[in-house]
Amino acid sequence: MLHAHRYFWMLLFGWMLWLPDSLQANPVWRDHIEVELVSEQTAITPGTTSRLGLRFLPDDEWHTYWQNPGDSGLPIELSWRVPEGVEVGEIAWPYPQRIEVGHLVNYGFEGEHLLPVTFSWPSDLPMNEPVRITVDAAWLVCKVECIPGEATLSLDLPISNERAERLSDHEALFAWAEQRRPQAMNTVGDFKLESDQLSVQLPIEDFVLAGPPSPKHIFVTNTNLVDHAKDFFVASGDGVLQLALPLSPFFPGSLDELGVVLIDPATQKAYAWSAVEGELISTTATGDLAYVWVLLLAFMGGVLLNLMPCVFPVLSIKALHLVQTPSDHHRSHALAYTLGVLLSFLALASLLMLLRAGGEALGWGFQLQSPWVVGVLIYVLFVMGLSLSGMAELGTRWMGIGQTMADTSTHRGSLMSGVLASVVASPCTAPFMGTALGAAVLMPWAMGLGVFLMLGLGLAMPLLLLGFVPALAQWLPKPGAWMNTFKQAMAFPLYLAVVWLVWVLARQTDAMAVAYILIGLVALAFSLWLSRLPERHPHLMSVRHTLVALSWLVALAMLASASRSSNEPNEVSDGLSEPFSVARLEAAITDPNKAVFVNMTAAWCVTCLVNERVALSSEAFAEALETNNVVYLKGDWTRRDEVITDYLAEFGRNGVPLYVVYPKDGSSPKVLPQILTPDAVISVLETL
Amino acid sequence: MVRIPSLKVGALLALMMLGLATQAVAAPKVGEKAPDFVGVDTQGNTHNLSDFAGQTVILEWTNHDCPFVRKHYTSSNMQNQQRMAKEEHGVVWLTIISSSPGTQGHVSAAEADELTTSRDAAPTAVLLDEDGTIGRAYDARVTPHMYIIDASSTLVYMGGIDSNPSANPADIPDATQYVVEALKEMAAGESISEPITRPYGCSIKYAD
Repeated sequence: MLHAHRYFWMLLFGWMLWLPDSLQANPVWRDHIEVELVSEQTAITPGTTSRLGLRFLPDDEWHTYWQNPGDSGLPIELSWRVPEGVEVGEIAWPYPQRIEVGHLVNYGFEGEHLLPVTFSWPSDLPMNEPVRITVDAAWLVCKVECIPGEATLSLDLPISNERAERLSDHEALFAWAEQRRPQAMNTVGDFKLESDQLSVQLPIEDFVLAGPPSPKHIFVTNTNLVDHAKDFFVASGDGVLQLALPLSPFFPGSLDELGVVLIDPATQKAYAWSAVEGELISTTATGDLAYVWVLLLAFMGGVLLNLMPCVFPVLSIKALHLVQTPSDHHRSHALAYTLGVLLSFLALASLLMLLRAGGEALGWGFQLQSPWVVGVLIYVLFVMGLSLSGMAELGTRWMGIGQTMADTSTHRGSLMSGVLASVVASPCTAPFMGTALGAAVLMPWAMGLGVFLMLGLGLAMPLLLLGFVPALAQWLPKPGAWMNTFKQAMAFPLYLAVVWLVWVLARQTDAMAVAYILIGLVALAFSLWLSRLPERHPHLMSVRHTLVALSWLVALAMLASASRSSNEPNEVSDGLSEPFSVARLEAAITDPNKAVFVNMTAAWCVTCLVNERVALSSEAFAEALETNNVVYLKGDWTRRDEVITDYLAEFGRNGVPLYVVYPKDGSSPKVLPQILTPDAVISVLETL
Repeated sequence: MVRIPSLKVGALLALMMLGLATQAVAAPKVGEKAPDFVGVDTQGNTHNLSDFAGQTVILEWTNHDCPFVRKHYTSSNMQNQQRMAKEEHGVVWLTIISSSPGTQGHVSAAEADELTTSRDAAPTAVLLDEDGTIGRAYDARVTPHMYIIDASSTLVYMGGIDSNPSANPADIPDATQYVVEALKEMAAGESISEPITRPYGCSIKYAD
């Protein structure tokens, strides 16, 4: 008995030793995934190379991991057992997908995928027996939970001296992997480790990107190096691609070689660079220069904002008030006003960045995508208008009208008027500053905040100058009775701004919401009128107070109803365009007879509206679309829309307008300027 | 005349501009003071990190259903390290569960105690952090994720449990056990040779 047992165990043990060379099951099914060892060709030819691959088919929503799995996960590992003389290459990793899991970002593969490996077959392979290739594969397959898996798979490949035929079953998968295989670039980039980020420069001289790549098109191959969930910064120019990659807190601090894979957003082709530690001399300088230029632009934009119909009344009245105060107070008032402006811009920019860091797909102009904010702005501008018209006392403290000259507490008033100027400027910043601020949002946060602050500084500049250059104050007209007339006149630009915002609201919601908000305005006006009635009948005062309170309640209720109106926006069709969708775009791009013109717009974007009126609605434009077979797709970003936000990001934008044309031959799309003229657009359409 | 209280309306406007004032959390840094925290353990006792000043504290993030955690518990690697740390170095070992309710690894206090018993684990306490406050303060990302805080409340180690990112217990003997090495170096008065390493494992299922 004992002997029999020993014999049995020896047999079993012997069988297990022999096992690796036996033919293993192929494919295999493990938890949530199917795995198979496949060959691109049905047979192998001695003295040539051919590809084998591991095919993975995870369940829906499950994924495996790339060579750098991202913030968690493990890459697929393969270890091969091959007959002597056979050389096995490395995995030619197809580029991965970005997979967000909670607060982390992983790089991996969903759906069927294949990891190809090139084999070199020796010329002295015996013809009479098939070659057995065995692989030990280990992987981690995850949805939210993760399940590690492993399998040993083998494949017998016959030898043939004739040209082996391809296996059509797997040809498509090998083609998929080939299409996603990054082309190795010969030029080596430089990187520099900074305290919390990695700055990288990649030479792109001999290589043209169709559009500026977005952070989502960059994959770092090193593990445990960057914080994948944080925003990457990308810029290109002067033959150099610049990246700023946030370092992972768990990066130990030394890095020999960096690997970067970049996807061209237009062609979906991938390129791979390596980079070594080096000085980033020349382009850091140009980078700084470019940044200084952006700052300057933001500042000029801020100065221009002062002329907007929403801001000008606040500014001009504040300026006149300033002149009335004793000159030794000018500086401190100007500083308080500036502080108010800067704090407001800082708050708005921080909010935007925090929300983006929290994963919200928002862009600049986001504040006008919410009917709530639009509704509140309508009320604020309307009440300000009424107050300027002499209907109410509101706003006098902020604007500083009628304050006693030496009242130092009006510094608070100056600060508040700075806040007010920023608030009323915000509907105007979105349409006019969208592009510049959109770029700022994609920068590292400190640089981005700098841009916002410069914009605020520009907005505050006229008053700062007035406060610090006494000579300027003398140029302003002397105070007098005309000021009241001027103040009343200034109400009208505000009413126009109200009309515009009501229209924006109408585009976001529906006619009902417009009615609600107009009732709200009537209620507000009613309450202000009541408040101004002379107090002739004291016993009626409580009635009046009740009515005032009621009207305010009505106004608030109307605001809530208008904002809650969940109807889809009214599509205002121009008869030329189709609504944008990714599916429609892809269908049109792949059609060799059709070119595509994409217009990303929003109701609150004044530049967009001007372009549409001037260049995109003429009969000549319609004819040019018709004769050149151009599909015109229009995306409306008036309300939040993640599909459009992602599309904008593909072109490095974070705001509208964006105009892109795709030629018929499938070549790279071109981005058109943000200011369109009829002739320019038509001539572009003719070249497609 | 009604005077609308301008300051209140001003505050409202400021709020409108500010929106939600979300607090951005800075990542912890090795060599700096460890983020303080208050946590409640499975016995209902409250632990404050500052209560342990003067002692070395180890934080271990866990999720008993995570294959990487199982790797180190089925092999007894984690339990051995807990005992070694307590017995040889007098370490306070806090096991922390940051899985939010309804996600993998979330357990009640009783279940957590049962896991400690059944796995023969030896932590000083198991903290239930289902709202993820402690986890986020340490930027803990995966399970297991390890942190060592020295007697002066300075964070001296953060990262993985060992050097071989795999789910296979057979890989443990050949891997560098970072926490063990760090404790030895600390005991010898040396600086920790690998104070930051790659944490590997399952992502922590935080509450939104």
